[in-house]
Amino acid sequence: MDVSRRNFLKYCGISATALGLSATDLLHLEEALANPSTPTVVWLQGSSCTGCTESFLNRIATTAPVSAGDVLINSINLSYHPTLMATAGQTAVNVAKAAYNRGGYVLVVEGGVPTAFGGACCFAWTDNGVDVTFLDAVKTMASKAAKVVCVGTCASYGGVPAAGTNPAGIKGVKAAIGVNTINIAGCPPHPNWIVWGIVQILLGNAISLDSQGRPSALYNTTVHEHCLYNDEDKVSTFGQSGCLRNLGCRGPQTYANCPQQLWNNGVNWCIGAGAPCIGCTESTFPGANPFYAQTSGGNSGGSGGNSGGSGGNSDTHRRDD
Amino acid sequence: MATVIPIDPVTRIEGHLKVQVTIDTVGGVQQVVDAWATGTLFRGFESILVGRDPNDAQHITERICGVCPVAHGLAAVLALDGAAKVTAPNNALIMRNLVAGANFVQSHILHFYHLSLPDFIDGPNMPPWQPSWKGDKRFNAATTAALVSHYVTAIDMTRKAHEMGAIFGGRLPHPPAYISGGFTSRITSSQITKFGAYITELLNFINNTYLPDAALLSKTYPDYYSRGKGFGNLLAFGVFDLNAAGTSKLLKRGRILAGTSAPQALDLAQITEQVTSSWYQDSTNNLPPTSGLTTPQYPKTKGYSWIKSPRYQGIPYETGPLARMAVNGDYGSGVSVLDRHMARAQETVKVANALKSWATQLLPNGPVYVRPTPPANATSIGLTEAPRGALGHWLKITNGKIGSYQIITPTCWNASPRDTKGVRGPVEQALIGTPVVNQAEPVEVVRVIHSFDPCLSCAVHVMRPAEDAKIYALGGIHELV
Repeated sequence: MDVSRRNFLKYCGISATALGLSATDLLHLEEALANPSTPTVVWLQGSSCTGCTESFLNRIATTAPVSAGDVLINSINLSYHPTLMATAGQTAVNVAKAAYNRGGYVLVVEGGVPTAFGGACCFAWTDNGVDVTFLDAVKTMASKAAKVVCVGTCASYGGVPAAGTNPAGIKGVKAAIGVNTINIAGCPPHPNWIVWGIVQILLGNAISLDSQGRPSALYNTTVHEHCLYNDEDKVSTFGQSGCLRNLGCRGPQTYANCPQQLWNNGVNWCIGAGAPCIGCTESTFPGANPFYAQTSGGNSGGSGGNSGGSGGNSDTHRRDD
Repeated sequence: MATVIPIDPVTRIEGHLKVQVTIDTVGGVQQVVDAWATGTLFRGFESILVGRDPNDAQHITERICGVCPVAHGLAAVLALDGAAKVTAPNNALIMRNLVAGANFVQSHILHFYHLSLPDFIDGPNMPPWQPSWKGDKRFNAATTAALVSHYVTAIDMTRKAHEMGAIFGGRLPHPPAYISGGFTSRITSSQITKFGAYITELLNFINNTYLPDAALLSKTYPDYYSRGKGFGNLLAFGVFDLNAAGTSKLLKRGRILAGTSAPQALDLAQITEQVTSSWYQDSTNNLPPTSGLTTPQYPKTKGYSWIKSPRYQGIPYETGPLARMAVNGDYGSGVSVLDRHMARAQETVKVANALKSWATQLLPNGPVYVRPTPPANATSIGLTEAPRGALGHWLKITNGKIGSYQIITPTCWNASPRDTKGVRGPVEQALIGTPVVNQAEPVEVVRVIHSFDPCLSCAVHVMRPAEDAKIYALGGIHELV
């Protein structure tokens, strides 16, 4: 994989503005990455779907193709990642244990932590014949981590598998084991958000978090505020151009910069495809309400910080693309 | 003397899987003499879905798997369309195929380069290639370097396949555009042009890099045409509808029983799920998914997995690209580790070529959606294929809400435990007889497992609640979801 230092820098150069990095930050980052003591990254997967990993790889690969030599020389030490690592079984477990013994790594958690039945809904690995629950593995690995980063809504708050009656007792990492986490929410999170979090840690910057543990720098505006369609007529059926409020759009209540970032290398985003925002960056996601439930309509405030001031206006101007 | 070796975690799959093999020397060859695949479940998607608005199903079920979310979204809207008796406009049917096909291309490239290839090369001295199991690496240094370079290029290609899918799907993974009655995206001519540019670039990689690399693997490891054979029974639900009724597909529905050559029709009524080796009450054994019950019982003497054992006429069948291509008449009669890789590579070409053609059939600004009339009560089935095999969603709508929702995923067929007759699941059977040189690093075993492209997408492991624990609300979910 091309999570290489050189690639990383190219990526940050390309997206410096989007990432909120100054030229000085980039210089410091280069120094940090050149340092052989660059933290090891241990990436654990719990009650997850691997979608966060897929999303992460999508974006990190947008830099120019790199050679195997680049990768060889310029590695970030992503030492443990179940979907990518070559080794398996006990030798894989030993990699995680070696990182633990050294300490000081960045622990990335993808997926929620099942807590029912003493954590027995999810085992991380078998260590010398002993099954280790994901709950215990996260507790142990978090205890000697420099930082704990929750990638995705499941690790942050439980997410989809914690909905309904939540029979596996799935919780977010902080709720499950009581450590402070940096929550890169989203189902999946945008790769820029993940990379931003890792970069800030490498730079040693303090990360200001909102009430849901998300970096304020990334989650400080609602989807609706910057939505291209927020001043268009509300449509009442799919396949038409316009504001999707009446089709259940949760943009006014959802904090994320999707309209500014767009997805998949700028190709599109949910609302760009005529699909309502389903609020996947919120701690309450997915919630009990239907995704396509019509909002009460005509209210100008929404229920969650709609500061765009246009939520209830039926503007006659339609952007006809 | 026989030795029992657990491999846990089996890495480079979706989610977690524990495989335990018994290794012994037979006829002078140290080999696998028995195997147990313990897949695990338990995120409880059934209980999440029950009581929800039926139109939430595609969003919720896509979250079962971040690697094949599109197949779940498609299966859900097929089931919902059937329940509402609505026919989506042609534009929407094409877009559904385009996004699903983009996911096939993405997943197949990912599987070959990132999930499987590290079993055959000794990569650079850094993660994720190291540490690695060292045995039986046959490529020379120059070829290894080239393959590692292709591994890196392939990450760009999987990204671009996702970008291609996002043109109409909105974003990937977890595309939001699948909806009963059609598709949410409108169509512009510039989107069609953009899609064409992506698929041209991907076809170039598939034809000039992926196919030659797969051929090189088969030339270098020819003995793997006789390893991992398993039962040889193949089953496909079929995918990529070419008409609104779904009666014509790019890849047909059907099955092939080992020892016979002609594909036979599939009768869904012949599918049952056995639970003798699963932690469910034996009174629920051998029920069809339409009336299936999932009543957990733990502990249980013969139980060792939360996966049920789906069987067709009581017989285990393998699903996946090899099954699809063989049923469709596009692949010969072999069943083995390398046959699975080669069929997957050839299917990638077939699907990519079809995508290129389908994109030109879109009608810019044409209709994409018909509003369905939601039924108060209905039952329906959505059958399709995930990149790694047959996928079925069985839906029941009660009083306008989801009354029950049952899913049988490809890995449920492939990684199922022993059935009532004691017959192993396909992955277990495929492992029998696999020679193992180094018990501490049984690379031969993971090569066989990886050839199935297991998708245990919830990364949960064996659920082993305490004996006195109250198990509740497990509902009817059937597999690793």
